[in-house]
Amino acid sequence: MGLGRFSDPALFVLMSLAGGEKHGYAMIEDIEETCGARPGPGTLYGAIARLERRGLVEPLASEERRRPYRLTAAGASALERRLRELEGLANAGLGRLATA
Amino acid sequence: MRGLADRLVRLYPRAWRERYEEEFVAMLEQGPVSTKDVFDVALGAADAWLRPQVVYVGRLAMVSRMRGSVLTVMWAWVGLVVAGVGFRKMTEYDDFVRVAQDSALVGVAFDAVVVGAVVALAAVTVGCVPVAFVALRKALAEGRKDVPLLLCMPLIFGAGFLGYTMVLLKVIFPSLGRVAVHSSANVTLFLSLVGAFLLAALASAGGVTAAVRRAEVGGRILRFALYPAAIAAAAMTVVLVGTTVWGVTLRAQAPALFAGDEGILATPTYVTWLAIVAVMAVSTAVAVVASIRGLRSRNVRHVSSRL
Repeated sequence: MGLGRFSDPALFVLMSLAGGEKHGYAMIEDIEETCGARPGPGTLYGAIARLERRGLVEPLASEERRRPYRLTAAGASALERRLRELEGLANAGLGRLATA
Repeated sequence: MRGLADRLVRLYPRAWRERYEEEFVAMLEQGPVSTKDVFDVALGAADAWLRPQVVYVGRLAMVSRMRGSVLTVMWAWVGLVVAGVGFRKMTEYDDFVRVAQDSALVGVAFDAVVVGAVVALAAVTVGCVPVAFVALRKALAEGRKDVPLLLCMPLIFGAGFLGYTMVLLKVIFPSLGRVAVHSSANVTLFLSLVGAFLLAALASAGGVTAAVRRAEVGGRILRFALYPAAIAAAAMTVVLVGTTVWGVTLRAQAPALFAGDEGILATPTYVTWLAIVAVMAVSTAVAVVASIRGLRSRNVRHVSSRL
């Protein structure tokens, strides 16, 4: 399944979960550390809900009220596809800059 | 922090909250909530209202409703048990036994109460034991200790109540029951027994409730438990009707007894009876409503959602 209207928060959530299952607060800290942007709680859960709706992430059993999520196979494949697209875009942009 | 988190999550639609509230609040409680976060949550809530995106709301809401129904019936049954114990205590005296033997209707009404109570107990047992067993098995598979401990609460508090009663009657005050009914010792000790019983009942029901909720028991066993819960609610109705008919008939057949001071702690009989009927009526109404709602929700599989 494609990512549809793939927004940064959703991409960040998938990237965070690619490093292992995490609950909401751990995702916020991980995204801030790896992407340099700290998503707000509303933004994060908006992204989680959409990704879950599309079957790209799935919830696990809650642990003391905190529910971890993990990437699904479809989510991993969609993330890889999107990162390849971004990689191609970055290479193309860098190539043009190099020849400019 | 909890207050702010609770207020913020209320901005979201109900379906969203049923799915995400607990984990969302837990996340907000983990760190400081800045003004920027509050604004972000408000925008997220507006987005959730404008573009509902909850996915498992159908299944989770269905499981949540079924679990709520089964547990509510159990709590209502506890309320009926408390009132029923009061009824049993009041009617154990010879005067009431004699009227039940002399008046067919009073006797039948009393028998209906007993039969209804036995059926309700059996139905609650049949419904709750498998749910508790599944919760225990799931918890043990996950290596959790909280659920088994919570499920032990009925045993612990039940044993505690029996132990207290034994100590009270055998050691502390062996002559209880032979002292004046209105004496301060009798009233105090009787109330302490009532308090211990209520504590045991509430702790037992609370332990089972918390265990079933924490273990996140699945829909299949809950769907099964709805049927014994419905039978329990029906049996509770029989107990309520029987108790009501018993009192009305007693008033007609033995007005002096009905107006006398044969209630609990020598209170007026009709006052005790009315209090018992009131508690039973509330418990039964709660059980019937919860049971109907549970049975209605068991087949709801999907709630429409759009991205």
